Order: sequence, then C-alpha cells, then structure tokens
Amino acid sequence: MEQYLLVICIFLPLLGAFLLPAVGKRKAKLRNQMALFLVAATFLCSTFLLPALHSGSPLFLHFELPLGLSFGFYADALAVFMALAASLVATVIVLYSFGYIKEEADQNEYYMMVCLFIGAMMGLVFSTNLIFIYMFWEISAICCWRLIGFYREATTIRRANKAFIITVAGALVMLLGFIGLYGETGTFDLAAMKGIAIPSWVVVLVLFGILSKSATFPLHSWLPDAGVAPTPVSSLLHAAVLVKIGVYVYMRMFVATLQIDEVFTVAVPALAAVSALVSAGAALRANDLKRVVAYSTISQLAFILLGLASGNEIGVVGGMLYILMHSVAKGGLFLCLGIVEHNVGTKDLTKMGGLYRTMPLTAIAFLFCAFSIMGIPPFGGFFAKYLVIAGIVAEGKVLLASFFIIGAVLTVLYLTRLFVKVFLGEATFPQVKEGTPLMVGSALFLAVLSAVLGIGIRVPSGLAALIGRGM
Amino acid sequence: MNLLIALLSEGANLLWFMIVLPAVVGILVWIFREYHLPRLLLVVSSAMINLVCALSLDQAEGFARSFSFGPCGLELAFRIYEFSALFLTLTAAAFLLVSLYSVVFLQDQKSAGLFMFYMFISLAMINGALLSDNLGVMLFFWEGILCTLFGMLLINNLHQPKTAVRALVLSGTADLLLMLGIIITVVQAGTPKFSEIQRLPITGVSAVGFLCMLLGAVGKAGGMPFHSWIPSAAEDAPTPFMVAFPGALEKLLGIYLSVRIVTDLYDLQPGSGMSTAVMLLGTLTIIGGVAMALIQKDMKRLLSYHAISQVGYMVLGIGTALPVGILGGLFHMLNNAIYKSCLYMTAGSIEKQTGTTDLREFGGLAKRMPLTTACFTLCALAIAGVPPFNGFFSKELVFDAALESNTLFYLGALLGAFMTAVSFLKMGRVAFAGELKLPMGKKTIRETSFGLLLPMGVLAILCLVLGVVNTWPLDQLFGSALGITEVYSGWPHSTMLVVVSLAVLALALVDHIYGCKKTGSALQAADHIYYAAGLKRIYQAAEQGWFDPYRWLVSLAGVFSDFCVLIERQVSWFYDTAAVKVLLGTGDRLQQANDGSLSRYLGAALLGAAGVAVIFIVML
Repeated sequence: MEQYLLVICIFLPLLGAFLLPAVGKRKAKLRNQMALFLVAATFLCSTFLLPALHSGSPLFLHFELPLGLSFGFYADALAVFMALAASLVATVIVLYSFGYIKEEADQNEYYMMVCLFIGAMMGLVFSTNLIFIYMFWEISAICCWRLIGFYREATTIRRANKAFIITVAGALVMLLGFIGLYGETGTFDLAAMKGIAIPSWVVVLVLFGILSKSATFPLHSWLPDAGVAPTPVSSLLHAAVLVKIGVYVYMRMFVATLQIDEVFTVAVPALAAVSALVSAGAALRANDLKRVVAYSTISQLAFILLGLASGNEIGVVGGMLYILMHSVAKGGLFLCLGIVEHNVGTKDLTKMGGLYRTMPLTAIAFLFCAFSIMGIPPFGGFFAKYLVIAGIVAEGKVLLASFFIIGAVLTVLYLTRLFVKVFLGEATFPQVKEGTPLMVGSALFLAVLSAVLGIGIRVPSGLAALIGRGM
Repeated sequence: MNLLIALLSEGANLLWFMIVLPAVVGILVWIFREYHLPRLLLVVSSAMINLVCALSLDQAEGFARSFSFGPCGLELAFRIYEFSALFLTLTAAAFLLVSLYSVVFLQDQKSAGLFMFYMFISLAMINGALLSDNLGVMLFFWEGILCTLFGMLLINNLHQPKTAVRALVLSGTADLLLMLGIIITVVQAGTPKFSEIQRLPITGVSAVGFLCMLLGAVGKAGGMPFHSWIPSAAEDAPTPFMVAFPGALEKLLGIYLSVRIVTDLYDLQPGSGMSTAVMLLGTLTIIGGVAMALIQKDMKRLLSYHAISQVGYMVLGIGTALPVGILGGLFHMLNNAIYKSCLYMTAGSIEKQTGTTDLREFGGLAKRMPLTTACFTLCALAIAGVPPFNGFFSKELVFDAALESNTLFYLGALLGAFMTAVSFLKMGRVAFAGELKLPMGKKTIRETSFGLLLPMGVLAILCLVLGVVNTWPLDQLFGSALGITEVYSGWPHSTMLVVVSLAVLALALVDHIYGCKKTGSALQAADHIYYAAGLKRIYQAAEQGWFDPYRWLVSLAGVFSDFCVLIERQVSWFYDTAAVKVLLGTGDRLQQANDGSLSRYLGAALLGAAGVAVIFIVML
C-alpha cells in the first residue's frame, strides 16, 4: 500500500488543482486553504517516502499499457530529494500568496495553475518513462505560460508567450532526442536504459530542451522577461519548480542513467561558465529588481549544471545541494522583493533606498538569503558552492573553476549592490510599511532555513550523498 | 583547570565548548543589550572562561577528534597540537582585553549589545577555524566571519554603508580565492586534513593552490591587495572594531594560516621564485601602507595604514621560508597585535574624551591624559622598532631573514622602518607634546576611565616585557611550536643589522626635526616627503584611489558587465526581433504561395515526399 503514497504525491496536486476554481467560486478562503493543503500534503507525502528510501528499497509503481507500452513511478533518492525541495518551497510560496494575491482578479486560475505546476513537477521527478516526463514537462510549460501572463497587459502576454514558445520549442527538439533515444535503445523506460552509451547527437537534442527550461545561455532570454509575473510566481519559477526541471532531467538522464561522451564533461561546464559569467555581468548593470534576480538565477543554474556535469561524486553531491540551497534562498529572496515591490509600487532600483528603516525584518531575511546565494557560511549555499568547485577541480579543470570563482565574485557584487540600493542608504519611501505578518514570516522562514540547512548540513547532505553514491 | 583537563581525557567536550560558549554568550549579550552591568560581567567572565579553556588545551597532550558533519570528506575534524593551541591561547588573551575595552567603550551606546553579539560570534568562528584539522571545515568558520564583519561595519552606518560594502567585496574575494586554493590543495594532496598533508611541492597546479591560499590568508590579515577597506573603516567603524579586528584578531588568524601554508601544507624553498614573489608582496605592503600612513592627519586612519604596513613585515618574514624569518614574522604578529591594539585603544580613549581623532583639532594631551600618553609612547616606541621594546626584536629577525634572502627586500623593509618612525614621531608630538589644544566647544578634558586604561596598560607593559624577556615568546612559544631548534632569542645576533636599524631611527628623528623646522609645525613634519620630486604625483594618484584594488575590481567588473549587457542585447534582439521577423516573414511567404496553383501544390508534395524518403534512407 505504501506505493500509493507516490500516487498521492503526484495526483493529489495534479487533480486537486481542478477542484480549486469550483471551490473558489463559492468560498475564496476555503480555496486558499485547500490549495495550501494540496501542496503541504504533497510535501508531507514526500517525507513519508524517506523511510523506504533509507531502508534500501525505494517505492516503485509500474503500470502496463496497451501496445506494449508501460509507465511507472520510482521514488529513488534523486526523485525524493527534488520532490522535497520543490514541495517545501512551494508550500511557503502558497502561504505567502495569500497576502500577495488577495486583491487580484483571476485568483481561481492562479491557485489552480500553481497546484497543477507542483503536480507536474511531482509527476516529472517520479516518472520512469520518457514520454511521461515529456508530458509533465509540457504541463509545466502551460502552467508557466498562464502564470507569467497572470496580469493581462499586452507586454505581460507577449512575454508569457515568449517563455512558452522558447521552452516548448526546446522541448520539441528534446522530444526528437527522446525519439532518437528510442531508436537506439528500443524503449522509453529509463530503468531499461541504465548504463547504455548513447550517441552525441541525441544528447545535443535533449540538451536543447534542458537548457531552454533551465534558462542557460543562449536559451535563457525568456527568464529575465518573465519578471512581469506576480512575485510568488517568479519565486515558483526560479526557486521551486520550473528552472530546476531542466537540471533535474540532465541529472536523471545523463548522470544517473545513460552514458554520454566525455566531451560533454567539458562542453557543458564550458557553456555553463559562459552562462554564469554573462548573466552575472548583466545582473550587475540591471536596474529592475526582478531582472537582477533573474540574471542571478541564470548564473546560479550554471553552477548547478557545472556540478552535475563535472563527472564525479563530489560535483554531483554539490550540484544537488546547490539545487536545494538555491531553491530555499532564491525563494526567500523573491518573497522579500515581492514585499518591497508590493509596498513600494516600483521595481526600479534607482528609486529605492533606506527601506531597512521601515522593513527591518524583510531586510534581514533578504540579507540571509543573499549570503546563502553568495556562498557565505554558515548558510547552506557555502557547502554547495564549495563542493561544486571541488568537483570540477577534482577533474583537473582548474581554469574552468577559476571562471566560476570570478562568477562567484560577481555574485557578491551584484547581490550586495541590490541589498544596498534597496535597503540601505537614504530613505526614499519613508511612509512605506513592513509586509503582512504572513508574508514577512514566509520570507523569514526561508531565510532562517538557509542558515539551518547550513549548520545542519548533515541532514540534506545525507540524501545528496545517497544520490552521489548511486551514480 | 584540573576539571577542564579531566574533561579533555573524557572526550572532545572542551573543543565543542570553545565554539558553543562564545556563540551562546553572543546571543545572551544581545538579549541583555539594555543592561550594562550584566553585559559587562557576562562578557568579561565568558572571555576569561574562554582563556582558561584555551590554556587548558595548551597544556594538554595533542589530540584529535572527528565528528560527522558535511558530505564528501567534510567531517568536523578538530586537532589540538602545540601550534593551534598556542594561537587559541593568544586569541583568547587578545579577546579578553579587547572585549573588556569594547564593552566599556560602548557602555552608553545603543549598539553595544549588537556589537558584542558580533564579537562573540566572531570568536566562535575564529576558535572553530583554529581548531579545525579539515581545510574545508576551517574555511566554513573562516569565511563565516564575513557575516559578522559586515554586520559590525553596518552599525551606525546603515545610511552610508560604503565601508561595509568595500569590506564584504574585498574580503569576500579573498575568501573565494582561499576557497579555490584550499580545493586545489585538497585535490592535490588527496586528503582534506591538515595533519595528513605532506608539504606539497610548489609546481604546476599546486603553485596556483599555494598562491590562492596565501593571498586569502594574507587578505584576512589585512595585507595587500585586499586591504583598502581598513582605512575606510577607520573613518566610520566603531573604534573597538578597529582594536579587535584590524588590530588583533584578524592578524592572528591570517598569519596563523600563512605560517601553516608555508610550514605544513607546501614546501616553500628559500630563494625560490615563489618565495621571492611572497617577499615582494610583503615589501610592497610595508612600503605602500606606511607611505600612506605618513601623510594622514587622522589618528585612526594613520594607524589603519600602519595596520596594513605591519602585515608586510610578517609576510616578508614568512616569505623568506627561513626559520629566522618565519619566527620573526610570527613574533612580529604577536607584537603587532599587542601594540596595534593598544594604539587603537589610545586613539579610542582620545576620541572618547575629545570627540575626535583628527590631529588638526587637538594636541598637547600629555598633561591631561598622562596614562594614555604613557601607553601610547611605549607602543609607539615598540612599533617604531626602538630597543628594548618587542617590535625591535621581531623586526631585527625579519631584517636578518630578508638580508639573507635578497638585499633589495631588506632595503625595502628598512625604508618602511624609517617611515614608520617618522609618522609616529609626527603623531606622538602633535597629539601629546606641546600646549594643550582642544576641539571647538571643548573646554576641558580628563584622563580616560579605568575600564579603558586597564587593557591599554596591560598591553603597553607587555611591549616592554616581551622585548626584554623575548626568550619566552621566541623559544618557548613559537620556536617550540614550530620545532625550530636554533636559538634566535636574546640580543640580535648581527651587530651590523642593529647599527643600521639604529641609524635609520636616528635618520627618522633628523627628518622629523627638519620637517618641523621647514613647515613650522609637527603636524606637517612629513609633508616634505609628500611634496618631494616625483612623489607628489604618486601620492595624489593614491589619494584619488588609483592604487585601490577595490576600485580596480569594481571598474573591471563594470567594464565586463557592459560587455555582457552588449551580448545580452544581441540575444534579446534575436528572440524579440529577428526570430519574430523570420517567423512572420515565412508565414507571409507561405500565405502568398497559397494561391490555388495545382502545379505548385504538386511540386511541394513531391518535395515533401523526397524529404521523407531521404530520412528513411538515412535511418535504414
């Protein structure tokens, strides 16, 4: 029966999402509570998957379909790690949304799409079949499209379309790769592909999908533009769900399952280095709050990709920890910026300053999250950065590591600039007040969690090490 | 004490205690931030307990303990042996004095609780770094100090955070370099443990690792090129911060690691290219720092340039890779921590009484503040390298090693000693000698409080004691900890070196008298150096920030960012304009092609069929 925990994890948010508009038509409060329940229950169910994992027999479900096809769900360490990270941050984001979104129209659509998004993420991480991975991948693209275009202005819609077209175009190319993979292996089942060496052209096709979803240079352009979305949505895209999908699939396919050519242990980190540096440089010049953080996400995703593509256990463990730490810290960072944007009414950095006076708790939460992304101890980001760099140095690529150190220095520069411009200096909005307790509490929770995950690194690293050992 | 030693035999309780105690006390101090007396008692008692713990570890047999902590070899490995225990004790002793000074100095200020919170959290981090036998875990504690550093520099400066930003960026960069250096070292050695690394040869990738680690360590100590936040901090950071961090604690930590890099981790050979590079860095730090100190008119700024310059002597000594140089560098670190802290304390006392440290606004304080004057004088004599004070003996050791390695570096160090003496003659005479001069609105002043005088007095006396009885620090502390068997204590071995050093001091006195006569003012006694042919332009460029690494870093990042923005625009143009145009244009063309012509449709169908056939042929 335990296996059905997996089904709950996936289908509770996926199907529950469709009930939300109906409930919302009658009682908005009940809809909100239900949305929170769906996401929190997903997190809770994900934690229930841990005992089986630690006992060495991960939960597994397999279904036979007509025409010789089949699909299944598998709760191995990698899947559970991703599910926990995504659902935890998503729960906090839903809680935060209660305050942020309460005055907006189309809330029914908003909560439905958010839950559907989480459901798609769960489906994707637990699926063992490439076709189902692709299906959940596209569901997430649709959710992303509706959520970015939540406000109905022309610019917003255009940018939502841009995000949709780029990610879906990438996904279609990836689908070609999946078909190519089927041609090579005769199956879409990942378990059956374990250890098979695949030709490089298939890898390149799949990489198109991965890099477009994970906003890696030069397929990243949609992410900075997606800042038009409501801030909790941005948080969801950057921290919990969307951009992590790409790196997850990289990990699942090219590290955990298939064998790829050695050239990719140089090519992917090299591309990641370009992405890390170009986006960090752009972040330093951007004056829109959310653009700065969006470029930061692109840059940090490159660190994740570096770790996962390093080709050794240290780098993989670092990459996985990076996913978690970045999710928590970037989620918190966006929630802080959401409070600022919500209360100040602008996203223009040049017009801000001195908000620490009226928003001290938001400022502290922001600083904690920024420190974690910079990789400063005792925050969790330190371990992730250290291990990712260690992974690439262990492969003898010191020059590449040096580029990432430069990227890390730029991270310190642009995040410090952001903090100083928004929170320090002379006050430009003295009348602005702190966010609602729920909003500030959500941001503070993630900020403190960044520190707790650093000091208690043993807990997440246990699971990450399990993933590393399984490579 | 016996109880603590007994605890040691039971396990690693005391090791944990050294980290947990300061962290808990820090939180308690912050909770009781409104109450001065409990805060004072808590701070002093816990600093004393910390010192007792450190002494207990120092007396115990060396031992190691490991605890599960992080992944991939990041275990919490602690190791106590003579050298780390010695530094724990020195740090604890310095912390006791600076925390006493800080808590008294800030007693009337609202930020006192927060400041002491940061101080104790920093102590927890420093203790952790000194205890760590695992390089990665050491980095965790080491880099964690960035948070407290940033916090302390933001106190009272939230509206004007330039120093805090500067410190975070420069120290952050140094720490990231250290991270790269540590990772390279760990990979090259095949182990993350200090105790298991057998002095790696400095060649190839290891040379990069060595350089990155050393730059990171020297950066923490306040040496070039990560130094330029320190003079900036002198302007707006609380004085106790200057006493504690650039004055003592960061020097101890930075030099501790520098010595371990040279003696434990890497095989730095005397006379090697890398040794020369390190010595060059040291000499440039000496001269660059002291040259700027010479022209300062504010006590704290002047002292902060000396804080940079003095690191140069330590780096120079360590860089020689000779036992006498390393010993000299270490002894100089101890001496500098003592007299530099005390000098900052005297500046703080003056600030407390007069409201300023600007030498243009006050003078002749000797009669009103005799004890502060005495403390200043003893420390100034020590830093200038006058016998028999401690600074004289440590400098002589560094000179000895520098001369043996390369005469040019020796001459550079002598030049530094000359300028140090000149600048302290200027500062001492202006601040304490002559007629009393008080800042506008100030009618009278009196000696500073006992709470501030106590740590100052202890440190000032130590300057003399450690000079006269230098056998104890040189032989029993550092020599024994490093396993150096040669005896370098007592009066310097080379009479020639002593004569030259004394001649340099005499020359400095002559220069000061000349400067005073030329300008008619002790404050401007060093200005003739500023206006000397060729130097004026260099000084002006320095004052405008042309030699400031922070400015270089920010400018470089700016240029790079502009380039990235250019790339970014092209990428956006491709997606937002070019791709859209191509798609719409293709649509239009297809629309135009859709004209009902059967032959055109047949042609398109044939083309499509041919395409499919080609795909099949390729796949088969």
